[in-house]
Amino acid sequence: MMKRLAAVLLLGLGTGLAFATPASAHGEKSQEAFLRMRTIGWTDVTFSGGHMDPNGDMVIAQGEKFTIKGTAKLMNTWPDSLAKGLPRIGYINVATQGPCVEMLTRTINGVSTPSRIEITKGHYYDFEETLMGRRVGRWHVHPTFAVKGAGTLLGPGQWVRVTPHAFTSSIKLYNGKTINLENYNLVSVWTLQVVGFLLGLIWIFWWTWWGKTAKGNPRRTVTNPAVTLAIPLNDDGVAVGLNTKKDHRVVNIIALATALFLLIGWIWQASAFPVKIPQQVVEYEPPLTSQDQAPTLAAVDARSAKYDYQAKVLRLEVDTKNVSNSPIQLAQFVTSTLTFVNPASGTAPYGQYQDALKASPSGTIQPGQTATLTIDLPGSRFDEEHLLPRGESQLTISGLLVFKDASGQKDSAEMEEPLQPKYIS
Amino acid sequence: MPSGNAVDEGGRGMTTTEEQLEQAQQFERLKALVDKPYRWIDRKWDAVFWISAAFIVGAACDITKLLFAGDWDFWTDWKDRIWWPILTPFALVIIGSALQYIQWLAWRFPTGMTYTAICLWPLATLGRWLQWGNFVHYPMNFVWPTTMVPAGIFADWVLFKTKSFILTSVIGSAVFAFGWWVSNYVMIAPFLQPAQWMDRILTVADIQGISFIHSQTPEYLRIVEHGTLRSFLGETQYVALVFGATVTVAGYWIGQFIGRMLAIWPIGRFMKKW
Repeated sequence: MMKRLAAVLLLGLGTGLAFATPASAHGEKSQEAFLRMRTIGWTDVTFSGGHMDPNGDMVIAQGEKFTIKGTAKLMNTWPDSLAKGLPRIGYINVATQGPCVEMLTRTINGVSTPSRIEITKGHYYDFEETLMGRRVGRWHVHPTFAVKGAGTLLGPGQWVRVTPHAFTSSIKLYNGKTINLENYNLVSVWTLQVVGFLLGLIWIFWWTWWGKTAKGNPRRTVTNPAVTLAIPLNDDGVAVGLNTKKDHRVVNIIALATALFLLIGWIWQASAFPVKIPQQVVEYEPPLTSQDQAPTLAAVDARSAKYDYQAKVLRLEVDTKNVSNSPIQLAQFVTSTLTFVNPASGTAPYGQYQDALKASPSGTIQPGQTATLTIDLPGSRFDEEHLLPRGESQLTISGLLVFKDASGQKDSAEMEEPLQPKYIS
Repeated sequence: MPSGNAVDEGGRGMTTTEEQLEQAQQFERLKALVDKPYRWIDRKWDAVFWISAAFIVGAACDITKLLFAGDWDFWTDWKDRIWWPILTPFALVIIGSALQYIQWLAWRFPTGMTYTAICLWPLATLGRWLQWGNFVHYPMNFVWPTTMVPAGIFADWVLFKTKSFILTSVIGSAVFAFGWWVSNYVMIAPFLQPAQWMDRILTVADIQGISFIHSQTPEYLRIVEHGTLRSFLGETQYVALVFGATVTVAGYWIGQFIGRMLAIWPIGRFMKKW
């Protein structure tokens, strides 16, 4: 019986280990597609630093810096079901497998931003995060936009391979001293913890091992109820010899030693670290970006979003009016982590999260002109990213149409349209 | 005290002399029982009990702590002066109080709180070291657990001196809360030093929380002091400590309920039945 049980347990463990694969993602594909598409529009996200290996991994050493830059638009299509439809507090960060990388600097709209920001629907947030390789390994790193009351939304990621190298996580205190965050003050934390623990052990050993009964015999435990249940609860057992006056003296000494230990600790911290402040909560509203203040290039009105399951093509039809005084052209369609670039605009897709779109008419739209753009997007990419809203409460396709004028100025227009899962005729 | 042939309330007609004699005999019987040698129950059973219970007690206290005050225990940037001293002593005292009742009732040992503390500390530290340190690679100076050992010693001392659970709940809980704060503030103090980082003045703890990435717990989730108009001339720390001590009294009685009604009472029913 025991052998069978052991065999089953071993088989289960072996099967689990044999088929388990390392966790390498962050659950972004498990979030509902329409929510990911209606919340944050990620544009121009780039990773720079180190070097790229043939597999497209960014390779950096421990302690070496790399940068993530990009723009996140908090979309007006933000759904009512998240943060009650009014996102107010956000936090731009990165998602990866724990502290594999370390945040060094972060600017949002040009302002240094250690923590949360006040956010407004429809605004753009230009972010630049400088990070440092910390843990050796291959990690998938995404920029993230967390919104209070909603959750964390991920932008396009990049595999980062961290190679071994000596490093420190140095910061300079206000008193001028430089400390290493990796091990700062660890010795005193453990010393205080261990000394306290030893005092507790002494207390317990006194009552279970070293202490004696009134007759000088070893003190026992499990047989005591024969006595203790026969005396009142507010009797300390000294009269019957279970405990002794010596016990009182010893516990006084241990309690006094503990108080002395805390007093010494208190004096130490007060003299060693005279200047202390409470944890800081930094919160502000970033200034507007140039994109927030730029003239609108196009007014769009989506007419249809159809998906051909056989050809795996998502076709968008969008009435686009050029409201600027310069010719404009569709440069990108951006939704959630994916960016589809228009090769006719002079850019080519790059990286894991970019692909090409096919737009017709492919030329420019003149000022004041309205054109119906037909945009074909490779549906396989939507499939891979679980971005086709099937079986969800809102079957819609949302995203940013990024236009470029003759001077290269960009502006994006939001579109949202119910998805029609039909064959394209 | 009446003397002579006084009749007791039960009307049994027993004299005071007989009562005293019986009490004296009972007293001698109990004194003999204290040191009575048992053939099958020796001190090995004591060791078995104390050691095997350690894991259950430590785990129960750790789970209670994580349930009520998990994040405050995990990260230095959560260990603030308002919420941390209110929630953590409350969470810690619960299982300690239950053990204090059980161990005092059964063995007359003022050890429940300290025993819980020394069971909790190695388990919590080992867990933190394995899970946060080795698996996820957070520096241990960012994720060290709190200690309740000095606070536990004080609370047990109060019980032994007062021999009263009511007094221990009032005095002992307050001493527990203040003792817990002092013993843990000494450890957090170096991390409250200011540093200029990202063009702001932040504490070392804040910087740890931002630089060591925790992807799914954005900074705004931190429940720490944010400031209030009811700041009591800026002395929020002392108000929080007093309130924390009060809340700890409530936690103490939750623990007493667990000890009395969920542990001892069912055992008593079982023993009577069988």
